[in-house]
Amino acid sequence: MKNKAVEFKNFYYAYNGDELALKNINFGIREGSFTVLLGPSGAGKTTLCKAMAGIIPYYYGGRYAGSVEVLGEDTKGRRVSDIAMKLGLMLEDYESQLVSLTAGEEVSFSLLNHGFPPEEVAERTRKALEDVGLPGRENYQMDELSGGQRQRLLLASVLAVRPRVIVLDEPVSAMDPEGAVSLYKLLYKLYQKYGMTVVVVEHNLDFVLPYITDMIVLQDGQIKAAGCFEEAAEKAYADRELRHLLPALWQVRLELEQREGIRLGSWRNIGEAISELKEKFGRVGL
Amino acid sequence: MRVTAFTQLITVLAVTALVFILPVQLVSFVLVVELVLLLYIRHDRMTMAAIGALAVFTGMMILLQLLFRSPLETALAGGLRMLVMTMAFLCLLAATKIQDIAQALVERFRLPCEYAFMLTTALRFVPDFLADSAVTLDAQSCRGYSNRGNVFKRMYSYLVVIKPLVMRAVAKSDTLALSMELKGFGANTYKNMKKQELGTGDYLMLTIVFLLSTYKFWVKYI
Repeated sequence: MKNKAVEFKNFYYAYNGDELALKNINFGIREGSFTVLLGPSGAGKTTLCKAMAGIIPYYYGGRYAGSVEVLGEDTKGRRVSDIAMKLGLMLEDYESQLVSLTAGEEVSFSLLNHGFPPEEVAERTRKALEDVGLPGRENYQMDELSGGQRQRLLLASVLAVRPRVIVLDEPVSAMDPEGAVSLYKLLYKLYQKYGMTVVVVEHNLDFVLPYITDMIVLQDGQIKAAGCFEEAAEKAYADRELRHLLPALWQVRLELEQREGIRLGSWRNIGEAISELKEKFGRVGL
Repeated sequence: MRVTAFTQLITVLAVTALVFILPVQLVSFVLVVELVLLLYIRHDRMTMAAIGALAVFTGMMILLQLLFRSPLETALAGGLRMLVMTMAFLCLLAATKIQDIAQALVERFRLPCEYAFMLTTALRFVPDFLADSAVTLDAQSCRGYSNRGNVFKRMYSYLVVIKPLVMRAVAKSDTLALSMELKGFGANTYKNMKKQELGTGDYLMLTIVFLLSTYKFWVKYI
């Protein structure tokens, strides 16, 4: 079987002076998967992301047990920036994650910190900006870029070190639906181009439905389901509280399966759903 | 001919010292040079506004000195000196990217990188901060904030805008720190940047600065 990009083993974590935020976390993320992390607010999704990047417990302190392995190596005792070379993390508030004055400096920032020679830094910066659709914008000031462009710039700065895993914490929460769709399209393109592992925390699964391969469902700091999307979605659907978090199309699909006692295909877009329903039930009424 | 940030910094520092050494005529000559230089580098509204503000400030300085019974000559000379000093910094900021200044400070003056980084980051967040303050002002206006009344009253009521603004900035700084941690910020940040090598222009400029700074010594022998 394929290797694990990230693996949690009996992981527990509590912030300083607080109750357990994550309890008995045991799961692995397949290398090369497009994984979505799902769960109600306050379930510990962000905490889980930070644990993957080694920020927890290194930066926040607190109590923890168990281990987290990124590409087969324990995050314990390693520097956050070294882990970031293999696992790139994009936090939710993208505005305050941009630290430089111009786009080019922003992308080359982490490369310089890791001691890449200047020629390679320039080349990688150019490439990363091109990848996210901001070619030749090295000298743009931050306030010359729109919100969506800034976010893609942050993505470029994460991509520039060429991590094998990339974790995004609610990347589109502050975006309009159109921008969200195009960001995920871009992400999927990069995912296919570089064969990365992508982990996304997302509330609105409708945006990512066409791309998901795996899903992890988190509730009250515990894993409810983890594995391939179809199975995890069925498990999540069985729980009344998690049901509405699934993509609208899949809520319909699973409801139909339950009521009619049939098996339906793994719908990824409305077109597929319509054609299968037409096939099964004859004409779809309209 | 380009001059690196290091030379510019040295020059500015020298000018601030020179205004006290050189005779008033030469200082006013320096002022003219600075003005020409500044307007040559940049002549947008911002620069004009900055020059205007400096002029007003200088006027106030002179008035204050006169108020405390300084002779007119001393007051004018004092104002001129201050104007030349501040104008030198204005020239520096107009001519050089703040990033280069920060790099020069770390490379040549051995400033700890955290402080140098503070310079650039502060500048980076000014537009964000202004946008935030506009939003907060709107939000608090909806809740009944108004800037009526005398100065003290206004200052006091403005606190309701300042407080959330500061809290928000603090919350943001946490993410910023995390992001810098992820990107591996540290002593290497400036070490690995492309070095600013001194060129002919730099040596020429530094020589001029040296000659002017030692003016008192060699002027006797001419």
